[in-house]
Amino acid sequence: MSRFPLPVLWLWACSVLAQLLVMALLFLKGSSRKLPYFTAYVGLNICQAGFLVFVYSHLWSQPAAADTLAWTSEFPTLVAQALATVEILEITLRPYQGIWGLGWRALTVTSGIVVLLVILAARGHWGSARWFQLDRGYHLTFASALIACLLLVRYYSIPVPPAYKMMLGGFCFYSCTEIVVNTLLQAYFRKDFFLHAAAWQLLTMSSFVIALVVWATALRKPLPVEDRQAASPSDDDYLRLSPQINEDLRRLNEKLLRLWKLEASQQ
Amino acid sequence: MNSTLLLLIGFAVLVLLLLVWVLRDPRKSAKPDGDLDSTDELSQRHVGYFPQVRQALAVEDFAFLSSRGSPQLARRMRRERKKIALAYLSCLRGDFLKLWRLARVIASMSPQVGVAQEFARLRLGVAFSLRYEMIRIEFLFGLAPIPELGSLSDVVSRLSIRLETAMNNLGERAALAAKLASSLDDGHGLDTR
Repeated sequence: MSRFPLPVLWLWACSVLAQLLVMALLFLKGSSRKLPYFTAYVGLNICQAGFLVFVYSHLWSQPAAADTLAWTSEFPTLVAQALATVEILEITLRPYQGIWGLGWRALTVTSGIVVLLVILAARGHWGSARWFQLDRGYHLTFASALIACLLLVRYYSIPVPPAYKMMLGGFCFYSCTEIVVNTLLQAYFRKDFFLHAAAWQLLTMSSFVIALVVWATALRKPLPVEDRQAASPSDDDYLRLSPQINEDLRRLNEKLLRLWKLEASQQ
Repeated sequence: MNSTLLLLIGFAVLVLLLLVWVLRDPRKSAKPDGDLDSTDELSQRHVGYFPQVRQALAVEDFAFLSSRGSPQLARRMRRERKKIALAYLSCLRGDFLKLWRLARVIASMSPQVGVAQEFARLRLGVAFSLRYEMIRIEFLFGLAPIPELGSLSDVVSRLSIRLETAMNNLGERAALAAKLASSLDDGHGLDTR
């Protein structure tokens, strides 16, 4: 553990305490039953912290092996993060089956495009910093998919309970800061990137602690009971009306275009 | 720093800004003309004022008053009537936005939503906004072609009638579903076991 400076160790301790607080709130307020994947995510983070203490204590003489193990332990928590976010989005959009269906498709398409872009951008540039590139690629995909879903929610004016808003905001904030920190450090310390690992840890851990504080604030009260219901029992209205409305809107646009052209020709 | 890294940082900052905007309470940023809360407001559309606006902007009317009055009066009249035309166009846009939002409400309540339909409407909405702005700018520099403005009003009016009928149907269905649910809760429902 001596390879890390004291501020990093302090921040690590704070992060673990915050994680324990979030976990305690999840169980005390009964939110763990509503959010099993989120609970698993926080639990996995706590387990990862314990695992890292063990790895860095016992493998201090083999830093390369310790780093590989530490990065590998990140994989399950990242999967849990994605599942926890989908879980919150699913709860938010459950009464809106059609929009949830649309959200799923938006999520898949956005993720696919971003993954492709990440692979193209990183092609031929894998070096010793591949772990950071992989981490950044994941957060890039995650943040894009999440913001696409949130934009959809906003576009359809779907009410989102403040607690869920805060939780989704925490995830998005954490991913965005990871992208910025990974990119900045890689840009400025390209040659001796690993010498600045402490700076990277300080910055990323700080953003995670901020996210944990936001989640703890969101979970300080029991989560709202889901009693919203979709108003329409069938999709006949939509299937009948949507093409008609679009046709009318198209006609209106054509009128506007003609009006514009007429004015241009008059001048 | 190369362009890819700049792009990545720019993207992250953009996502953060979007996050702040998305998570803001929509009621705080809602414009009064786009409020759908009141059904009375929906029935009070501005398209019905078209005959008065047409009268106010009639070329013959303007020529008659110009021939009788002073040039100063003619200039003042032209200025004021242009203001009226711009206000009317703005109100038409308000009507359009209300109806467009209503269409989104119908989509959000539907159990199945078509991607193509939704994307087409989004595209149309963006195109409408852009064209509206262009026309508005041109209105500021010249006289409006009134017959075209009239047919614009007709389209908004027809669209609003269709949507109001649809909303009434949805309301009736929702009331029926709520009634059915409450009767099942009372213990008088069917035993499905």
